[in-house]
Amino acid sequence: MPNNPPSFLTRVFAIWHRHVRVYNKFLLSNGLPPFLEPLIFLAGIGLGLGRYIPSMGGVSYVRFLASGLIITAAMWTASFECTFGTFIRMEFGKVYDGMLAAPISVRDMLISEILWAGTKGLFFSSAVLFIMFVFRVLPVSITVLVPFVGFLTGMMFGAISLFVTSFVRNIQYFNFFFTGFLTPMFFFSGVLFPVENLPKAVRPIAEIVPLTHSVRLSRALCNGVFTPDLVIDLLYIVAATFVFGYFAIKRLRRRLID
Amino acid sequence: MSDTRVIAVKNVRKSYGGFLAVNGLSFDVDKTECFGLLGPNGAGKTTMMKMIYGMAIRDPHSDGSISVFGYDPLYDELKIKNLCGVVPQEDNLDIELNVVENLDVFCRFYGMSKSATRDRIDYLLDLMELTDKRDSKIKALSGGMKRRLIIARALVNQPKLLILDEPTTGLDPQVRHVIWNKLRAMKKLDMTILLTTHYMEEAFQLCDRLIIMDGGKKMMEGNPQRLLKDNMEHYVLELKSAGSFGKVEGFLKETAANIGSTTEAATKEGVTDKAGNDEGAFGEAVNAETETDETETIEAETDEAASKKAVIRVEHMEEIVYVYSNDPEVLQKAVCLLKGEDYYLRQSNLEDLFLKTTGRALANAQ
Repeated sequence: MPNNPPSFLTRVFAIWHRHVRVYNKFLLSNGLPPFLEPLIFLAGIGLGLGRYIPSMGGVSYVRFLASGLIITAAMWTASFECTFGTFIRMEFGKVYDGMLAAPISVRDMLISEILWAGTKGLFFSSAVLFIMFVFRVLPVSITVLVPFVGFLTGMMFGAISLFVTSFVRNIQYFNFFFTGFLTPMFFFSGVLFPVENLPKAVRPIAEIVPLTHSVRLSRALCNGVFTPDLVIDLLYIVAATFVFGYFAIKRLRRRLID
Repeated sequence: MSDTRVIAVKNVRKSYGGFLAVNGLSFDVDKTECFGLLGPNGAGKTTMMKMIYGMAIRDPHSDGSISVFGYDPLYDELKIKNLCGVVPQEDNLDIELNVVENLDVFCRFYGMSKSATRDRIDYLLDLMELTDKRDSKIKALSGGMKRRLIIARALVNQPKLLILDEPTTGLDPQVRHVIWNKLRAMKKLDMTILLTTHYMEEAFQLCDRLIIMDGGKKMMEGNPQRLLKDNMEHYVLELKSAGSFGKVEGFLKETAANIGSTTEAATKEGVTDKAGNDEGAFGEAVNAETETDETETIEAETDEAASKKAVIRVEHMEEIVYVYSNDPEVLQKAVCLLKGEDYYLRQSNLEDLFLKTTGRALANAQ
C-alpha cells in the first residue's frame, strides 16, 4: 500500500492558498485600505507638513517619507497578521487544529504563516508604491523592486510576531507589542527622519531594531543610491527571519502539540 | 496476525505536569472495527486519541508504544495523518469560506489533483446530503449540517481510519440519529473507526468494541452488549425518594433472606463515609454525592444460578434510590408495595454500567 504524504512545498503552498482564499473573500474591505492609506498620507503631507519641510536627506520630504512608508505598510500588515490573526486562528477559530489533522506539521504551518505575512507585505508595499507612481512622487525605475523589500520585511515581522505570539496567553497583551515596540520603532528607524541625525546615545538602538534595515534598503532603491553596507542590512533581515522563525516554531509547537 | 490491527496501543502514559491524564493504557483496534473510548470528561479519552495522530506526545516510557498502520506517531506523524480523517470535538470550519471551499482547501492539504478534488467533493456532498448547500456560507448552516460537513471534510482523502472526538455532543436527537446512520454507512466502506463519546447510547449504537476509561485507566473492555450482560443486573427500579424505599426495604430484605443471603449487611442508610468530592466548586452540577460505599449486595449463597438471579443491589444517590436485580419478578412485587409513589422500573442500559464502573460522583476534572 503506497502511502506518500504530499511534499513539503505542496503542504506549505496548500496553507498559503487557504490564507489567500480567505483574504480574497473580503476583497473590498481588505483590498481598498492599502490604497487609501497612502492617499491620505499624500494629502496630509503634500498639502500640510511638506510645505514646512521642503527637503530631507537630499530629496523632497514627500519622497523621503514615501520610501519609508512603503516599508511600514508591510510591517504593520505582517505584524497584525501574525499576532492577532495567528492568535485567533490558534485559540478561537481552532483553524490550526483542523490543519494539523491533515498531513501537515506545525513547522509547515508556521513557515506558511511567515510566507503569507511576506505576501501581504508585498501586496501592501506594492499598493503604496502604485499610488506614489500615480502621483509622480517616485519615478518608475528600479523602484519597482521595492515591493521585494516589502516581502522580506513582511516575512521578518511575521517571524518576530509569531515569536511574540508564542508568549501571549491573552489577546490584550499584543497591545504591549504594538504600542511598546512597533510604534516607538516607527519614530526611530529613519522613516520620518534620517537615523544619522539621532543623538549619539540613541543611534545604536536604531541600528539594533529591525525596521531601520528595511527602510535603508527601500530608500536605496527609491533614490537609486547604493552603498556596500546595504549587504549588512539584507543579511540582518534574513538572519532575523530565520532566528525568530526558528524559536517561534519551537515554542508554538509545544503549545499546539500537547 | 498483527496485520489485522490498525491501532496497537501498549502501556501508554501521558502526564501534564504532575497530573497523569492517561495511565498505562493498552488496547488494539482491528481493521474495519468501530472502537469506542468511553469515559466521563477528564477520563483521558481525547488525550489518548490525540496521541494516536500526533497531536499529543506520549510520555517517554521504556515499554509504552503506539503503532498506527505500523507507524509510530512520534516519528511518522505525517504518514499516519495521510491515512486518517479526524472529526474534532469543536466545529473548526473556515467561517469565511463556503461549503465547497472548505472542502477544496482540505483537498489541497492532501495534494489532490483538481479533477480528483472535484469528483471527491461531489461524492461527499451527496453522501452527506449537502449538495444543495454547496455554495452556502458556514454561518447559514445548522448545527447538524456543520457536523456533516466536518465529517465530509475528514473523508476527502478516503481515510482508512476515521477518528471522531465526541461526534454528536450538543446535537439534538434527530441530528444524532442522522449522524449515526452516516457513520454506520462508513463502516460498510471498510473503514476503521475510532470514536470517543460519553453518550452510552452512541457507543451502543455504533461500537463493535469499546473500553470504559476513568482517571486515565481502562476499567472495562469488550463488546457493549456483552459487557452489559456480564457486568450489570438486567433491571433497575428507580425510586424517587428515600420514603418510597422505606416501603419496599423490608420486602427486599425478606426476599434476599429467603434465598439465603446474609441480611445483616442490608441497608445502612445515611452512611456517607465517602463524601462527594469538591461539592460547591462546580455549583449546582455537583449534587451527585458519592454514596457508592452504601451500595450493598444482598447475595444469595444457594446454588449459583439462583444466586445470580436473585442478587439485589441497592444504590443511593441523594434522595434517589436504585434497586438493581436480574429478577424482574422481585422488582415487580416491590412495585406493588409502592401505591401512589413515584417509581420507574426499566431495563438497565449501558449508562447504568458506565455509572457503576466510573462512579456517580463528579471528579474534579469534570
